[in-house]
Amino acid sequence: MSYRKLRKKMHYKEQIPDSASDTQKSIDTSITENLNFIKQKTGNSPDIIIRTLAISHDPKVSAAIIHVDGLVDNPTINEFLVQTMEDSVQEKLQDEDLFTVFTEKVVAVGSLETVSDWDTLFQSLLSGDTVILLDGKNEALIASTRGGERRPVEQSDSEITLRGSKEGFTESINTNTALVRRIIKNPNLWVESMNLGKQTNTDLSIMYINGIVDENIVKEVRQRLGRVDLDAILDSGYIEQVIEDESSGLFPTVTHTERPDAVAGNLLEGRVAIFVNGTPHVLIVPAIMIQFFQTPEDYYVRFPISTLIRMLRVFMFLISLIGPAFYVAVTTFHQEMIPTDLLVIIASQTESVPFPAIVEALIMEVTFEILREAGLRMPNKISATISIVGALVIGQGVIQAGIVSPAMVIVVATTAIASLATPNYDIAISARLLRFAFMLGAAIAGFYGIILGLIMLIVHLVSLRSFGIPYMAPFAPLIPKSLKDSIMRGPIWSFNERPKSLNPQNRVRQGTDQKPLPPIKRGMMRAETKEGDKNES
Amino acid sequence: MEKAKISTSQLFIVMILFQLSNSLLIPLAMRAGRDSWLAILIATAISIFLFFIYRALYLYYPSLLLTDYTEKLIGKVLGRTLAFLYILFFLYSAARVLREFGVMLLSFAFPETPLFVASALMILVVIYTIYKGIEVVARTGELLFVVMLMLAFFLFLLIAISGLIDISNLRPTLEDSPKILKTVFTETLYVPFGEIIVFTMIFPYLNQAKKLKKTAVAAISITGVALAFTTILNISVLGVPLIERSLFPLLTTIQSIEVGEFLERLDVIFILALIIGGFFKVAVYTYCALIGTASLFNIKEPSKLAYPLGITVLFTSMVIASNYSQHIEEGLNAFPIYVQLPFQIILPVFLLFIAFIKNRKK
Repeated sequence: MSYRKLRKKMHYKEQIPDSASDTQKSIDTSITENLNFIKQKTGNSPDIIIRTLAISHDPKVSAAIIHVDGLVDNPTINEFLVQTMEDSVQEKLQDEDLFTVFTEKVVAVGSLETVSDWDTLFQSLLSGDTVILLDGKNEALIASTRGGERRPVEQSDSEITLRGSKEGFTESINTNTALVRRIIKNPNLWVESMNLGKQTNTDLSIMYINGIVDENIVKEVRQRLGRVDLDAILDSGYIEQVIEDESSGLFPTVTHTERPDAVAGNLLEGRVAIFVNGTPHVLIVPAIMIQFFQTPEDYYVRFPISTLIRMLRVFMFLISLIGPAFYVAVTTFHQEMIPTDLLVIIASQTESVPFPAIVEALIMEVTFEILREAGLRMPNKISATISIVGALVIGQGVIQAGIVSPAMVIVVATTAIASLATPNYDIAISARLLRFAFMLGAAIAGFYGIILGLIMLIVHLVSLRSFGIPYMAPFAPLIPKSLKDSIMRGPIWSFNERPKSLNPQNRVRQGTDQKPLPPIKRGMMRAETKEGDKNES
Repeated sequence: MEKAKISTSQLFIVMILFQLSNSLLIPLAMRAGRDSWLAILIATAISIFLFFIYRALYLYYPSLLLTDYTEKLIGKVLGRTLAFLYILFFLYSAARVLREFGVMLLSFAFPETPLFVASALMILVVIYTIYKGIEVVARTGELLFVVMLMLAFFLFLLIAISGLIDISNLRPTLEDSPKILKTVFTETLYVPFGEIIVFTMIFPYLNQAKKLKKTAVAAISITGVALAFTTILNISVLGVPLIERSLFPLLTTIQSIEVGEFLERLDVIFILALIIGGFFKVAVYTYCALIGTASLFNIKEPSKLAYPLGITVLFTSMVIASNYSQHIEEGLNAFPIYVQLPFQIILPVFLLFIAFIKNRKK
């Protein structure tokens, strides 16, 4: 026998147990067979609760209720399933078909389905549904009883706003989609659900508003999700990393949020949201650069204020990107740019410092990154210690020891605050990494290095796309109409069209005459204050 | 050709940035003395005619590059040779701009850095950019244009409030009109205005061919006015004698700004303008050489050519002249007459003539 034939044979043998034993087999008519099979498949796990009931005087007819402990809503099972079954079946069970009786008269829960294959049965059972098996039937009933302990809807920790809804997403996908539905009460809000992850079978939904979203974007999302074949999906981060456009770049091309109002706002602009069970972070695609500088709150406060705040955020991003690099370049190459008085101060400080500016900057930046990482993962009680060590020991000590100049500490501290103030962590972290590259560029070639670095960054950013949408829209390519909701935030009454870059089906957002018209402008005044009136003072 | 499209506003911005880039910084039309701004305006008007020649060629072959239709017009051997010469011309021009840029940068900001290092850093960014294609070049231009606009506005504001402008420096006008015309035809027409010949390699990417005329004429006129305005500003701030001795009049103008005892030594603005301008011009020239080479030699992935062509430009820029005086001498007396005049004006007119005859027969 040739090697190839042998291999083929072995391959064939391997295939047999897989296909024959578990999934292909359909539900048997014998209830004991079925229960045994379930026990064997789940390895007799004690959290799979199987309750057998004799529902007829005729001992042959028995039923079984199977559910997973902790995943189900216990009152529903006790009151509506077990109780009603025991009470009422016996009267009603005359000559009708047992199954019909069950579906129509007995089981009083939200939704009821009939299944005949094990795959669907296990999928539902493990999602928290209750399976009802009847003796003599090769089908099973699935009653929806999903419930169990979950974190309640709370305020999100990572996206805090002063104004606006305090609700944040939870780990349950159903709660999350419901939170959005509560905001957009519109039948055109469509949800498609799927199941991904070979081992985890994670529930996943995509949500969009039909009639607004560009069909091509939805198709692209479906297609990219369709080719996901991961073993496990433990967070939406897994999905993000396999569907994004640029997986090795530093800039995020998918955004995520914990706030239902942010999702609603994005859906209304024509984006698609991806919900993943088990995480409060909902993905939103496509993402453009300027989105990372916007928060839902921007739309809730009056527009001149949010415009200024958005500009401030971009400015802070630039500081966190090139702050230390700028200082290094100025003190190393371009001292003539500093006013003489200031230069004298800086020079007298750096006189005793043994290192060049770049080394000082690197020491302080790395120290800061260490402090920050330490503070992030520590319980609150310990983080107080970290701030004392950071402020006193490092801040004060390093200057007194003459290792780093005070001016450098100021620069690094400002940069740190600026970096923390960037509203989106994903974009702040890219600036955090690039900062070191810019510092090196500044140390090598001063401003020339910084500006070349910035040009390279711009080239990289304009070449990015997120689900076909240019990342730097509406700046490059320039879309003048969308500029009013970018780094600026125009008045709400001027947002008459949805963003053009997302190519929405329904361009018109609102009526064109939304600008408020106070009575005085309409020529309406209160009678007693009219001009010439004797009451007028 | 790449499968890409650029919009009219992008072409507009690319044209302005390309023409402004280094001409903003160097003394322009200085042979005409205090009337140099007039020379610039006249050259602008003539260059609009030049543009119509290029556009007429483009209208005969709206989907082809300059290096493609030379073959259709004057036969395979001659046409391909001419296309190749054009590619060399673009590369050489890129190298010249790079050299000028590098010398400028070193002479005023980094006296101890070797020229090669400065040029190599720049060409690295250029290679990265043209590797990404024309769309990215155009979008980068859009963002850089905003930076340049803000700089220009800021600069003008500072010059105006620091009270440096002295209009009497501009008088008397039209002192020597033949000299103005001579300057136009020996110098200003070719740099920067005649350089729009490279856009014959970019017009085919335009998504709305109908708006080409309006866009390009607007871009050329705005460039001309902006350059004339800058020259007027320089002359009125510094006066002709000072400009004639200055390598970079705009730099000297910026250096004389002094507002409120803390806004002084604003050279960084000049560095920004210098780098952005130099980068953009080298990038566009090298890109045109790249796309021309790709179509001439049927190369499937044009972006792969970015590395060899970029490095060619870098080394050419190092060897074209043994020192800067020689480079300037070539740039003033030899390059315009013997290279730019034929490539920018004579050959296009000749090609247009042939295209006209060929198409009339049909």
